[in-house]
Amino acid sequence: MIMQKFDYQAPADLKEACQIMANYGDKAKLLAGGTDLLIALKKNRISPSQVVALDQVDEIKGLWSDDDGIYLGARTTAAEIADSDFGAAGQALAEAAAQVGSPLVRNLATVGGNLVTAMPAADMAPPLLVMQAGVVLEKLGDNREIALDDFFVGPGEQVMLPEEIMSLIFLPELPSGSGSAFEKLGVRKALERSIVSVAALITLADDGKTIQEARIALGAVAPTPMLAATAGAGLCGKKATKKNFSAAAKTTAQEARPRGLRTSAVYSRLMVEQLTMRALTRAYAAASR
Amino acid sequence: MKKCHITFQLNGSLREILVDPNQTLVRMLREDLGLTGTKNGCGEGDCGSCTVLLDDEPINSCLVLAAQVDGHKVTTIEGLADGDKLHPLQTSFIENGAIQCGFCTPGMILSAKALLEQQPNPSELDIRTAISGNLCRCTGYQKIVESIKAAANNCQGES
Ligand SMILES: Cc1cc2nc3c(=O)[nH]c(=O)nc-3n(C[C@H](O)[C@H](O)[C@H](O)COP(=O)(O)OP(=O)(O)OC[C@H]3O[C@@H](n4cnc5c(N)ncnc54)[C@H](O)[C@@H]3O)c2cc1C
Ligand code: FES
Ligand code: FES
Repeated sequence: MIMQKFDYQAPADLKEACQIMANYGDKAKLLAGGTDLLIALKKNRISPSQVVALDQVDEIKGLWSDDDGIYLGARTTAAEIADSDFGAAGQALAEAAAQVGSPLVRNLATVGGNLVTAMPAADMAPPLLVMQAGVVLEKLGDNREIALDDFFVGPGEQVMLPEEIMSLIFLPELPSGSGSAFEKLGVRKALERSIVSVAALITLADDGKTIQEARIALGAVAPTPMLAATAGAGLCGKKATKKNFSAAAKTTAQEARPRGLRTSAVYSRLMVEQLTMRALTRAYAAASR
Repeated sequence: MKKCHITFQLNGSLREILVDPNQTLVRMLREDLGLTGTKNGCGEGDCGSCTVLLDDEPINSCLVLAAQVDGHKVTTIEGLADGDKLHPLQTSFIENGAIQCGFCTPGMILSAKALLEQQPNPSELDIRTAISGNLCRCTGYQKIVESIKAAANNCQGES
């Protein structure tokens, strides 16, 4: 039950939503899928005077693409993303979306909400980080695009102003020969926040053996979702072999900054290493397709 | 707190109602509309006892504000039977002993209904995945899975 009192608004489009957010600033809270927001309201973690539902703002829902890449509306649900084809390069994103919560949660939960909540364990963040996603933030009469890598600040914190609305996530076109994969560890398969999650992306050179580019991102093992930059860079120019993957996985585990909250830091690092190995192996397989 | 005037399709008929902005969908259904088939369990998306179909997709009605269903279509367990004739899934749950205390049953059946509409011939894994957001403390799930399988076979036989 929600004890708090607030007014409810459902703007018809993005412009009206920006207008409302400009008027109310931090007194207003945006509502997308509600899977985080309703719980925050029920637990009295927030107390907005206005709840502004994005339900009718259809401009920021769905997927479309042009020569530059793919545009993903912030209101697109995890279920819709799980059912979409992002090719071998974007496979990690569909895999991550398919593992959010439960089928019931996935039909509500949006990618925008997942990023804005900024949980360290947000499942869609690591794949979007390895895909070098950018996010578009709108406010009345203005917008800015920032790299997702610069978006997260700390647990539950990101760089957005109270009046800003995330409209799009932009996924730049990745070179052919790219493949990605996502691995998640939870205590059980459904309804489980990640204990450790890893996304890996590999781009192969024309010989199909040399790694031209690699990126690895982690969830739940640092105050924010993070790129393991050293491990990713270390793979560039190397051959895609088990030995090289294994060395990269070890480096990744060192880059993780687990806080030892849900599991011990030692265990988290061990799992990062295992999951990274699996993710790299599957990303390589996807890149070779 | 200004009340919200909403119009939506509930189990096939158009409903108009004034709701408080802080009313959740599950509580509106149970308390304002008297449809107590939908259960209010954890209130946090974990148990699935509040499952309803929103525009034919199963969701947790404890995580949706009543005001949000304005202009949409909601199906609850009360909307499944055709007069006195139970839905094949309801019959199958009864015949296969998939109901003990019954608290999870409305949610289980609605999740299963959404599955069978997308996938008339699901594998056991499809079934277990489809009901993975619905917890049951009594049955151990096996009979629920069997009931859904049996209902799928029956529907296939009919068409
Ligand atoms: C049972 C359960 C299981 C879960 N399991 C997982 C899991 O396995 N993995 C996982 O990553 N998450 C999980 N979650 C968390 C949650 O479902 C996700 O974080 C989800 O993606 C949040 O999206 P939403 O649309 O529901 O956000 P909402 O609750 O609507 O919003 C969340 C926050 O983001 C803001 N917001 C939303 N959209 C925008 C926008 N476009 N612009 C600006 N601000 C916005 C809201 O104001 C709010 O502060 C789970 C939640 C539940 C209840
Ligand atoms: S009451 Fe909604 S999921 Fe438990
Ligand atoms: S029958 Fe009791 S919870 Fe499922």
